Amino acid sequence: MTSASSTIADPPHAGRTSDGRKHRSYVGQVIARTVVRPGARLGLLWIGVIVFCAVFAPFLASSLPLAVKIDGQWSSPLLRHLTPADVIVLVAAPGAIILTLVPRLALGNRLLLWLAVIVVSIPLCFWLVRPPRLVVYDDYRQLAAAGRIESAYYAPIRFSPTDRLRDQPGMKNQPPSAVHLLGTEADGADVLSRMIHAARIALAVGFIATGIAIVIGVTIGGLMGYFSGIVDLVGMRIVEIFAAIPTFFLLLSFVAFFPRNLYIMMVIIGVTGWVGYARFTRAEFLKLRQQDFVQAAVACGLPLRSILFRQMLPNGVAPVLVEASFGVAAAILYEATLSFLGLGLVDEPSWGQMLSAATTASGGFNWWIALYPGLAIFLTVFAYNLVGEALRDAIDPHTNRNNG
Amino acid sequence: MFSYILRRLLLMLPTLLGVTAVVFFVMALSPGGVGGSLLNELGTMEANQAKALRDYYNKRYHLDDPIVFQYARWLNQISPLGFEPLDDGTLGAFGFKPPHLGYSFSKGRPVTALYSEALPITLMLNLLAVPIIYTVAICSGILAARYHGKLFDVVTGIGFLALWSVPTIWAGVLLIGFLANKQYFHGFPAGGLSSTMADQMSFLPQWADQGFQRGWLLDRAWHLCLPIACMIYAGFAFLSKLTRGAVLENLSADFARTARAKGVSDRDVLLRHVFRNSLLPLITVAAGILPGLLVGSVIVESIFSIPGMGKLTIDAIYARDRELVLAGTLIGGLLSLFCILLADLAYAVADPRVSYD
Repeated sequence: MTSASSTIADPPHAGRTSDGRKHRSYVGQVIARTVVRPGARLGLLWIGVIVFCAVFAPFLASSLPLAVKIDGQWSSPLLRHLTPADVIVLVAAPGAIILTLVPRLALGNRLLLWLAVIVVSIPLCFWLVRPPRLVVYDDYRQLAAAGRIESAYYAPIRFSPTDRLRDQPGMKNQPPSAVHLLGTEADGADVLSRMIHAARIALAVGFIATGIAIVIGVTIGGLMGYFSGIVDLVGMRIVEIFAAIPTFFLLLSFVAFFPRNLYIMMVIIGVTGWVGYARFTRAEFLKLRQQDFVQAAVACGLPLRSILFRQMLPNGVAPVLVEASFGVAAAILYEATLSFLGLGLVDEPSWGQMLSAATTASGGFNWWIALYPGLAIFLTVFAYNLVGEALRDAIDPHTNRNNG
Repeated sequence: MFSYILRRLLLMLPTLLGVTAVVFFVMALSPGGVGGSLLNELGTMEANQAKALRDYYNKRYHLDDPIVFQYARWLNQISPLGFEPLDDGTLGAFGFKPPHLGYSFSKGRPVTALYSEALPITLMLNLLAVPIIYTVAICSGILAARYHGKLFDVVTGIGFLALWSVPTIWAGVLLIGFLANKQYFHGFPAGGLSSTMADQMSFLPQWADQGFQRGWLLDRAWHLCLPIACMIYAGFAFLSKLTRGAVLENLSADFARTARAKGVSDRDVLLRHVFRNSLLPLITVAAGILPGLLVGSVIVESIFSIPGMGKLTIDAIYARDRELVLAGTLIGGLLSLFCILLADLAYAVADPRVSYD
C-alpha cells in the first residue's frame, strides 16, 4: 500500500524526475525567483546582519573582557557570565546551519530535529549554565586602571547594554563620540550596545508570533478548504470574528493588565493574526482539492494529516510565505509601538523603548537616541517588506509573464 | 440585498459580544481586577472612612458582584431591551428602555459624554488624512502606470514601500524633536489641538491693533500639520500600487485600444477612459482602510497628546475603568465592522458582477 501510494499519489512537488535530474519543488521555484531580485537581496542581507547581531550579541558588545590575564592567570569573564538564554541561542543558531547543510532530509524532519535540539537544550542550559547573580561591570575597568591586567581581549564594543557606567558619572546623555559610537542614554548605557542586544527581542517577537499565527491559520484554513461545506461555513464565521477584533487594542489591554511578559505579547500577536493565513490557505486548498494528485492520495487511503500537510500544503504554501514576510514586519512594529508606549519589557533593551527615551521630561531632544533605534526598526521592517514584495511578485503570474 | 445586510448586521452581534467579553474578562481576571485603581487612595485613609468609600463604590458600580454578573449587568445596561435599572441598584421590570453606556470610574462622568467629545476629534483627523492620501496615491499611481517600468515607476514604488515601513512612532518623535523643539527649529507646536488662548481668537485670521492675529482656524491647522503628516505617509504605498495595477490593466483592455484606434489622444484615453474605470477598486477599498487608520490615530494621538478616542481609550486601560474600556471596545469594534460591511456593499454597488443574493 505504501509503495503504491508513493507512485500514484506522487505530488508535483516531490523529489527527482525519472531521468534523475533534480526536480525543483514549487516553493523552491518561488524562492529561486525571489532571491534574484535586488530588493529581496538587500532585504535578506539586512535580515542576515540583524540575525548575526542577535545570535552573537554578547560577543559583539560587552563590558566584560573575552579573555583576560591577571597575575599570570588567563580567564574569560565573558564566557563565565553568559546567561542560559545566550547559550540556548548559541546552540540553536549553529544547529540550524548544520541541519540546512545535511543532505537528503525532508524539510519537516529538519524543522522537527531543530525544535528537538532547542527543547533539549533549554532545561540543560538552565541546569548547567549558572552565571554569577551580581555583575559589577566596573571591576575590570578598575583593574585595568590599577594596572593589574597584564593582557586582555575585549568585544568590539566595550559596553554591556545594562552597563550604566557608574564609575564615569560624566558619560550620561553624551552625543556620539569615538568611545560611544552612537552616544549614551540618560542613565549612561551605550546606545549601540543596547541596539545590538535589542535585535534579539525584535527577531524573537517577529518569528515566534508569526510562527504561532501560521500554525493556527494554515491548520484552520487547510481544514476549511479541504472539507468545504459546513466546516467552511463555520470556519469563515470564526475568521470574520477574529478579523473584526481590533488587534492593537486587545494587545494593549492584555499587556497593560498583566505583568510584563514578552511571551504573552508573542502569543497575542499570533492568536489574533492568523486570519490572513487561514484565508489564503483556504483559497489554495479549495483549488487543489479537485486535482488529480489529491484525489489519488485520497483513493490510496492516506491519513488526513498526510494529505493535508504532505501532499497539499507544499503546493499551496506560497501565498502564506508572502503573508508571513509582511507578518514578521507587522509583529516587530507592534512590539516597538508597545514598548514605546511604555508597555514593553522594563529591563531588557528594546528599540521602541529606547526611542521613547529620546525626548526628555524637560523638553530636551537627544537626536542620537531618536535616530538610530528608529532607523533599526525602519530598516528591519523595510527589509521584511521588500522580501514580501519580491515574493508576491514571484508568485504573481502576471509579472512572470511580463518578464519572460 | 436587504436580507444580506440584515444577516450581516445580525452577525455583528456575536462578534461584538465576543470582543467585549474577551476584553472584560482579561481586565477582570488580571491582578488587581476591575476598579483596582479606585482603591489606591484608601490606603492613606482612616479605617472607617476607607470602608465607607469602598461601600460607596461597591454600591455605585457593583464592584462586589461576581465578574460574570458585572458583565451581564453591563450587557443589560447597553441593550435597548432588558431589565430597567433602578436608582437603588436593583433591577426593575423587563421591557424596552433607553440604552446607557454607564459612568466612568476614573472621570466620574457619563461615558457617552466623554466619547462624544473624543470621537469627533479622531474622525476629524481621519477625514483630513484620507483625501490627502487618496490625491497623492491616485496621481502617483496614474503616472507610475503611464511611465510603466521607467524611473518614476521604480522610484515611487520603492519610495512608498519605504515610507510604509517607517514606524509612526519614529516619524512622530523625529518630527517633534526636529520641528517642534527649541534646540533645533520651533516651527510647530509639540502637542495638543489648539493654543491656550484659542477660545478668545476670532475664527478667521485678521489684522488687528497688535498686528497679525492667527485666528482659530489657522491655529487649528497649525496644530494639525505634524499629526496629519504622521498619519498620511504610510497610506500611499497600498493605494498607489492599487491604482497603478488597475490603470495598467485597463490600458491594455479592448476599449482603450479602440479609443486609441479611433484617434483619441493618449492623454484623453488615460484620463477620460482608463482612469474612470480604474476608480472602482479605489472606491471599494476606501471603507476597508478606515479601521487601520483608526489604529494609526491611536498612536498619533498619544504621541501628540491629542484628546481623541485613542488617547481616551489608552487612559481608560491604564485606569482599568470598566465602563470606559468596554465602551471603547464596543465603539471601535462597531466602527470597524461597519467599515468592513460598507466595503463589501460598495464592492457590490460599484461592480454589477458581484452579487450577494
